[in-house]
Amino acid sequence: MTTLGRILIVEDDPNDVELTLTALDDYNLANEVVIARDGQQALDYLYCRGEFKARSTGNPAVMLLDLKLPKVGGLEVLQQVKSDERLKTIPVVVLTSSNEEKDMMRSYSLGVNAYVVKPVDFHEFVNAVKELGVFWAVINEPPPGSVTR
Amino acid sequence: MELSADAFHENAASILWRGRHSAILRYGFSVVSVAVALGLAFALRYYDVRDVELPVLTVAIALATWYAGVGPSVLAVLLAALSFDYFFTEPFYSLTVSPRDLPYFFIFVVWAAIVASFGAVRRRIEEGLRHARDNLQVEVEQRRHREDEIRKLNQELARRATELEASNKELESFAYSVSHDLRAPLRHIVGFSELLQKHASSSLDDKGHRYVRTIRESARKMGELIDDLLAFSRIGRAETRKTAVNLQQLVSEAVAEIEQETQGREIAWKIGTLPVCYGDRSLLRLVVVNLVSNAVKFTRMRRPAEIAIGSVDGENLVEVFVRDNGAGFDMQYANKLFGVFQRLHLPEQFEGTGIGLATVERIVHRHGGRVRAEGAVDRGATFYFSLPKVPDAAERRASAP
Repeated sequence: MTTLGRILIVEDDPNDVELTLTALDDYNLANEVVIARDGQQALDYLYCRGEFKARSTGNPAVMLLDLKLPKVGGLEVLQQVKSDERLKTIPVVVLTSSNEEKDMMRSYSLGVNAYVVKPVDFHEFVNAVKELGVFWAVINEPPPGSVTR
Repeated sequence: MELSADAFHENAASILWRGRHSAILRYGFSVVSVAVALGLAFALRYYDVRDVELPVLTVAIALATWYAGVGPSVLAVLLAALSFDYFFTEPFYSLTVSPRDLPYFFIFVVWAAIVASFGAVRRRIEEGLRHARDNLQVEVEQRRHREDEIRKLNQELARRATELEASNKELESFAYSVSHDLRAPLRHIVGFSELLQKHASSSLDDKGHRYVRTIRESARKMGELIDDLLAFSRIGRAETRKTAVNLQQLVSEAVAEIEQETQGREIAWKIGTLPVCYGDRSLLRLVVVNLVSNAVKFTRMRRPAEIAIGSVDGENLVEVFVRDNGAGFDMQYANKLFGVFQRLHLPEQFEGTGIGLATVERIVHRHGGRVRAEGAVDRGATFYFSLPKVPDAAERRASAP
């Protein structure tokens, strides 16, 4: 567990952020987490602009994306990422409360890599976040040359 | 249609121009025709052209008949006969006819009368045409009126459809925000009470632990209720795909599925013959599964539990029943059974949110059937639902190619 990819979490709800971080912390995955609180901030991070102008370049190992976000919605962010040559290789996992078929269909047709409905049960939630973190940041091999570790 | 009606109208107007002229003009035309014919006859006689008086006068009569009508044509015949007699039959310049010319004169009068009778025939045809035109006009008017009415009804229908669509959209967005926005705080309640328990487990006494557990339990319960409510609202919105459904097969499938979870129970199943009915298979399966699971649940304390499933064949509908010897219910609350989240038992006795029978009712109503229940406390319950055996007329039309 020495070379962890960075995890970009796009989530507007501070409680969800805290729960997610708690879950990741339990498995020592919280170090390389970047939090974006809305779609605009997420895109700023990915494009290294605005407040993220000075960040080290490279894509995150995975982006955990909520769908209901202020300013720029999750689906818009997804569409933007998947239609950009430099960003489309980033694995995107939609992590949302919505289990509406409409949202799932739209996400998959935009090219999402995984769709996870946040479980209401805390244990299930912690497990889901942990497994996502371990899988995408540790087990999964990112596209070569895309991720800086 | 419109164009040909106009063309017909114009045609009729040209035939009927006489009708628009005054009587004086028409009779005048008749007199002038005969006078002109006489003038022509005299001129021809001056140039020594013989025996043309008769054709010329006949032409004048024909003109008067054609353009001026029956009355003027009779006048023309009279005038022509008199002038022919006066000017062109011997003895000249007298109204007496010599016996030699009598047949000649007689033939002229008959000829003139035949020509004049054409006028009458023409008038009859003309009457008929005018009548037909009027009828046609009335018909066109009525058709236009009907078309207007149809257009108005169509507009109304379109407006209703738009309204319905809007309210459906509203409902959908409501369900969406319930699904998305209500879940988040729920997850936080569960998550943070869990964290609290972990964090402060040493400082919490038994009561404190119980409180935290209750918070978590309630939040979990609320999550279940939300899920049930969403599933329920989806049943109302989902499109149905109706086909012929073999109820016998459907029921045995459902029973086989539920039986897997009844280990350690003693259940005497009694499944009668069930017909083929018409409906959406997956929705009907939900109905059967709900009713049979209920029967299994409410006979928990019976040994053996008896569950009977059968049907009563009606004319257009088939009524299916699920009967058990379980806890039953008081008939005075029968009308509450099918309400959303309505329960007649305490949660400690029988678990559940109270959405099952509401779902059953909604599905059966969507199929045009009815639900009812009979029971007595501690003496079991019977649930009935009816379904159509064949598609109704509107559905047959819709499914026809």
